[in-house]
Formats: sequence, C-alpha cells, structure tokens
Amino acid sequence: MSAALLLALPIAMFALLAVCWPLRHTGRFAGMLSAAVAVACFGIAVALFASGRSELYEYPWLVRSGHVIASVGWRLDPTSASMLIVVTAVAACVQIYSLGYLSHEPPKDLGRYFAWQSLFIFAMVGLVVAPNLLQLVGCWELVGLCSYLLIGYWWRKPSAGKAAVKAVWVTRFADIGLMTGIVVLYGATGGFAWDHVLAPQVATAVAALLFVGVMGKSAQMPLHVWLPDAMEGPTPVSALLHAATMVAAGVYLVVRAWPIFHAAPDVLVVMSWVGGVTAFTAACIALVQTDIKKVLAYSTCSQLGYMIAGLGSGEMLGGYLHLTTHAFFKALLFLAAGSVIHATGTNDIREMGGLWRKAPWTAGLFGAGTLALAGIPGFAGFFSKDLLLEELFEAGRYGPLVLCLAGAGLTAFYMTRVMCLVFSGEQKERVHHAHESPFVMLAPMLFLSVPAVAAGWFAGPFAERLGLEYHFSVTPVGGIATIFALGGVGLGVARYGIGQLTWLAWPAAATFLASAPVDRLWAAAWRQGLLPFARAAGWFDRYVVDGLINLSGWVALEGGERLRLLQTGKVRDYVYAAVVGVVLLAAWGAMQ
Amino acid sequence: MTLHAVLIVAALMFCIGLFGVLTRRSLVSVVLSVELMANAANINLVAFSRFGNHPWGQAMALFAIALTVAEVVVGLALVILIARTHGSTDADVPSALKG
Amino acid sequence: MIPFAVASLVLLGSGVMAVRTRDLVHAVLWLGLALVATAGIYVTMDAGFMAAIQVLLYTGGIVTLMLFAVMLARPDAEAAPNGQLRAALAVAAVFAGVVSVVLRSPDATTGAHIETQVLGAVILNQLALPFEVLSALLLVAMIGAIVLARKKDA
Repeated sequence: MSAALLLALPIAMFALLAVCWPLRHTGRFAGMLSAAVAVACFGIAVALFASGRSELYEYPWLVRSGHVIASVGWRLDPTSASMLIVVTAVAACVQIYSLGYLSHEPPKDLGRYFAWQSLFIFAMVGLVVAPNLLQLVGCWELVGLCSYLLIGYWWRKPSAGKAAVKAVWVTRFADIGLMTGIVVLYGATGGFAWDHVLAPQVATAVAALLFVGVMGKSAQMPLHVWLPDAMEGPTPVSALLHAATMVAAGVYLVVRAWPIFHAAPDVLVVMSWVGGVTAFTAACIALVQTDIKKVLAYSTCSQLGYMIAGLGSGEMLGGYLHLTTHAFFKALLFLAAGSVIHATGTNDIREMGGLWRKAPWTAGLFGAGTLALAGIPGFAGFFSKDLLLEELFEAGRYGPLVLCLAGAGLTAFYMTRVMCLVFSGEQKERVHHAHESPFVMLAPMLFLSVPAVAAGWFAGPFAERLGLEYHFSVTPVGGIATIFALGGVGLGVARYGIGQLTWLAWPAAATFLASAPVDRLWAAAWRQGLLPFARAAGWFDRYVVDGLINLSGWVALEGGERLRLLQTGKVRDYVYAAVVGVVLLAAWGAMQ
Repeated sequence: MTLHAVLIVAALMFCIGLFGVLTRRSLVSVVLSVELMANAANINLVAFSRFGNHPWGQAMALFAIALTVAEVVVGLALVILIARTHGSTDADVPSALKG
Repeated sequence: MIPFAVASLVLLGSGVMAVRTRDLVHAVLWLGLALVATAGIYVTMDAGFMAAIQVLLYTGGIVTLMLFAVMLARPDAEAAPNGQLRAALAVAAVFAGVVSVVLRSPDATTGAHIETQVLGAVILNQLALPFEVLSALLLVAMIGAIVLARKKDA
C-alpha cells in the first residue's frame, strides 16, 4: 500500500463519474460510491500514518538534455502523512454527510457534486504529498478549480455564480505572487525543491512572493473578501474546502516550504502581523454577522490568521498543530451549522432560537465545536492556540500577540452568541417545524467531534512524529488566553443567553463592519485601476495588434490585386517570362 | 567542324523556333515552332555525345525524341479540343487563366 | 566541313520558312525538311543510327501527326503575326546570351564515333529504368490524347 493509491482512487472515481454519465445521473448511488472511496482513502491514510513509513517517488516530468527540470510524484513523510489524515478524515465525513444534506437535490446535480468532490480529494492529496513546489502549485490550482465549481454548485442562483467568480478572481490575483515566487526560486536554484539553501535576499524574495499566494488562499487581510462569499456553496463544501482543508493549503504551503520561510526572518515578522491583524479583525466582523455560515466563515479567517501569526513566530509546530485541530472542530461546526440550516430552512440566526429541544444532538455537537474553537481548557483548540500564543510570546512578537489574545476573547464571545441565539431562548416561528437531522448526517459529526474534543491530548506524540518537542505547561500567556476565553463565554452568555449587558452591541462598529469596507476598497481598486488598464490594453489590442494583423492582410490582398495583372492568360506572355529567365541565367553565367 | 560551330547552329535553330512561338497566332504553328526548338536541343545532345565521346548523349537524344513525340501528341490533342470548344485555334483567344 | 555547312544552311533556311509561311500545310512541310536536314547534320557528326531514327520515326511521325491535326482542327486562315519587333529583340537577347555562354566554354575539334551496339547496350543496361518509364509515359500520353480529343457527345 502506498501513497499512490491515495492519488489513484479519487481520480479514478472522478474519471468514472465524469465519463460514465449513466452512473453519474444515478445521483445517490454515485454519491455512495464516492463516499466509499473517500472512506477507503481515510483508511489508507491512517494505515500509512500508523506504519510511520517514508516514501519518495519522483517521476521526471520535464527533462531537457538529461537535466530534470520538474518532476511529479509523492513524498510521504510525517508532515504529509498527518495532513493526509486530516484531509481524508474530513473529506470522508463530509461526503457521507452530503448524502443526507443534499438528499433533495436532483440526481444529475448530485452526481456532478460528487464528481467534483472526488476530484477535490485527488487534488488535495496531490497537494499534500507533492515532492516539490511545482506539483504543489499545480494541485493548488486544481483545488482552486474545485472550489470554483463547488461554490457555484447552485449556479442557477446568480449570487452563487458571482461568489465563485469572486473566489477565482481574488485567489488568482494572489497567485500572481505565488507564480512569481516559484519562478524566482527556479531562477535561483534551477529546481522547485523547497529544501535548497538560499541566499538571504533570495529567500526573503521567494518567501515574500509565496506569502502573497498564501494570503489569497488562506484568506488573510485584505485578501479575505472571497471567503465569506464562498458560503454560497453547499454547507458541506464550506466545511471541507472553505474551513478544513483548501484554505489551510496556504498554511500547509508555509509548513512545507518551511526551510525557505525560516531563512527569511523579515517575512516572518510580516506574517505574524498579517496573521494577528486578520485574527483580530475577522473576529470583530464575526461579532455582527447574522448569517450562521458567515459567522463561521469570518471565524475561519480569524483562525487562519492565528496559524499564520503562529508560523510567523519562527516556530512551526504551533501553527501546524492549530491547522490540524482547527480542521476538525471547524468542519464539525460547519456540519452542525448545516444541520441547523437543514432543520430550520434558514441561515439567519435571528430567526432561530430554542432549537436545542428540537435537535439535541446537533446542539450538543455544535456546543462541542464551540468549546473547542473558543479555546476552553481541555478541548483541542485550547492546546494548539496556547502553544501558538506561547511561541509568539517567546519570539517577542508582542503586537501580534496582543491582537491574538484579544481575538481569543472575541472568538469565545461570538461563538457563545451564536450558541445562545440558535439553541437557547424561546422557539421562533421557524423552529416549530424543525426536526433533528437523520443519522447519516449525525454520524460524521459524531465522528468528527472525537478529534475536535480530544486531538489536543495527542499533541505530544504528534510533535514527536514531526521530530519536534511539545510539553504542556501552564504559563502566564496561556493563563491570560484562558481567562479571555472564559470571559468571552461568560459575557456572551450574560448578553445573549440571559439578556443583560445590552450596551454590549457596538452599533457604530457593527454598521461599519457590516458594510464590508474591504470589499468596497477592492471594488474601487477594480473600477479605478483594473478596468482602465483593461480598457487601455483592449485599445492596444484592437488598434495596434489587430492593426498589424489587418495591415498584413491588406498588403497581401492589395499585392494580389496588383500582381494578378501579370497573369494575362496569354501563352505568349508566359513564354516571354521564360525568355527573361533564360537571359538572366545567361547573364549570371557570364558573371561567373 | 567544331563543337562551337554545331552549338551555334543549334542556338540559331532554337532562336528561330522561339521567334515562331512568340509571333505565330495559330496554335498549330506554335506547336510546330516548339518542335524546331526541341530539335535544336537534340542537335546539342548529339554534338556533346560526339565531341565528348560518350554514348549517353545519343541515348538522351533518343529519349528526347520519344518525349517530344508524346508532347506533340498531347499538344495537338489540346489544340483540337480548343478548336472545338472555342471555335478557333488562335493562341490569343483562350484566356481562362487571366488573373 | 562542306556537308555540315550545306546541311546547316538547309536546316536554318527551312526553319525560317516553317516559321514564316502562313499556309499551315506548307509550314508543316518546311518543318519536315528542317528535320531531314537535322538528320543530315547527324550524319556529318558520324551518328548514323540517330539520323535513321530522325528520318524514320521523328520526321515521319511528327509531320504525319501535324498534318492530321491541321486537317482535323480545320483552323481558319491564320491571323497576321503580331509583336514581331518585340519578339525579335527577345530572341536576339536569348541568342546573345546562349552564344556568350557557348563561346566561354572550351571548344572541341576531334570527335569519336559511337557504335550503335554500344548505344543499344547503354540504353538497355544503365538506362533501362528511364527507358521503361518512358514507355509508360508514351502510353499515358496516348491515352491522354484520346481522352482529350474524342468528342464528348460521341
């Protein structure tokens, strides 16, 4: 058994669903098949991780005169093996969950959905096991494509189509940096490996450029604008792509290319600040959202900010650990939110309330996810966040540290707000007809709740596997974070559960943040910068490039018009032409 | 008699034929003039064979005769065809090739 | 020298007549004379076999063919030749060019007699392939001529 199987199974599934349309049009059966493949992938990933094997296979893809320019293959090491578990576990859960969540979809659409899901697993596995940056970027684009396709799953809805296009626009814009970084790396080392020793300036340039791509994919300020809109896709898609795995690909890229980033301390400082600002600002925006998925989307932005900030401290473990734990509990939260939406038929938390009596399982699972995300001691999020803040403290990044600590309190507060508004209080109109989700949706959530609660307890062995050390210890920073988290929960309960402290509303800030200022900034940049440039480029293309082409056509036409007069059709004139040739030949002979 | 003498006679013959091709109006006359030019070429081949002491020249002249016969056959067939379709054998009448 | 000069004069004279005579039948006959004179030149160059072929096949075949064509096509009286000055200038230029090339090449005065047996051996040994190709060409030309010249409604 090898990592190749993890690549082969999903792409074979995708090819089968793509080519064999009668199978695809069965919908539910195709979904079961696809989910079975995803579960098999999870089993393989677990087996690979348990065996502790390392594998490296590289097939020379682009070869020029014996020199291998680029290769494709797979690299199995502790980093990729652990990430594989995260990816396949969440993917398997999400696919099983989708069978219930999307059970009312037309069969044709459902088949299409599962085809994209299989393609996504292939792309994500290819990204995770990539032996070099080129394959990583190729699969990076492929997951971006899957993201586009799945966001636009309900493409008949204009907002879904626009959100899909926006996701592509923003991430492509950021990918300009990523591509440039790859090219610079190739120029410097003649290859795409990330473990070359680079000169400091080159490392800084490459790391900075790669980080631009990371900002787009991992939704860092100010390139986060696509992620909230991506919630137009089905909720399981949000759980898999836009919470657990694809958006974490940017963080994973930093972890993979750690030698390059580690050699660029200036970029690390920038990273910790970008991450800190994102963690705090996104948490602020999440406070005032009324759409349950938007809250979770901004929360994802915020948590990705934590990861980036943690990696910016110069230590890898905290950020990577938070990536894995966050994948589990945020996927759980999204699936639970999907369950809520499934039950009530709305995304708006103001129309919900008192749902816990109707859907106790969902309420409990959402609560577990909330506690993990809030960083309550004992839950998964606590350990990773604690370690991450500790690293920031030890690296002396006090600014980002303060932002992250404040964000931790806000996180606990906004999650408590959602909990209280949705599950407690009196039942609203919509909730009267609500019902608990079927078992096929609850089972994956139950499964995910295990690592969401307990993943942090295994941080020590996990770090050991990566060749790093981790010991849990009680520190001042961790204490402050815990106090903030508990305080956030307490304030949240007081404000939204009990109804006290009504001054905690921030009306002005809410109005400002709800109007999406960054979105408007980008829109203005698009209107003022890109459109005029595109118009100029269009003018150049129409009148200069096309003009040249039309000129050559005109020359050929006009020349033909003139030259056709030579063709008189009279035999005699052709003989005269031959005579001219003979005389010229003789003259040429005389010259010799 | 030298090689140059024969070659110059052949060149004169060629030019006479060429003059005919360029001036005659009837297609039959044009084919006739082409025959004279081909004949001049044959004289050259035989002369090279003799003064170069090599049998290939004469062999080529024989082949050229066969070729010329083929050419005349096809050429005259075309003339007859043109005479039938255009009602004239004037070389200036067919102008389908005019650009 | 004398026979060559005589044959040449007959050749050139009959050639001029063939080109200048307006009556097509007469022109074809002048052509026949020119071809026979060519055979004479071959004789003076010690190429008897060539002369025989020239008279038997070439002259006989070509003149017969041309006469048939003249009678089948029944051309109208030929229009007066045109562009004679231009043609004369072009021909003079070609002649000057050819002669300049001829005079710049080495001359030869002695020649050798080519045995007919040698000629036959060359044609049927080294040149066997072109010989066979030529036979195919003649066949094709014959078929082509039939296809071209036969009446479509016949």
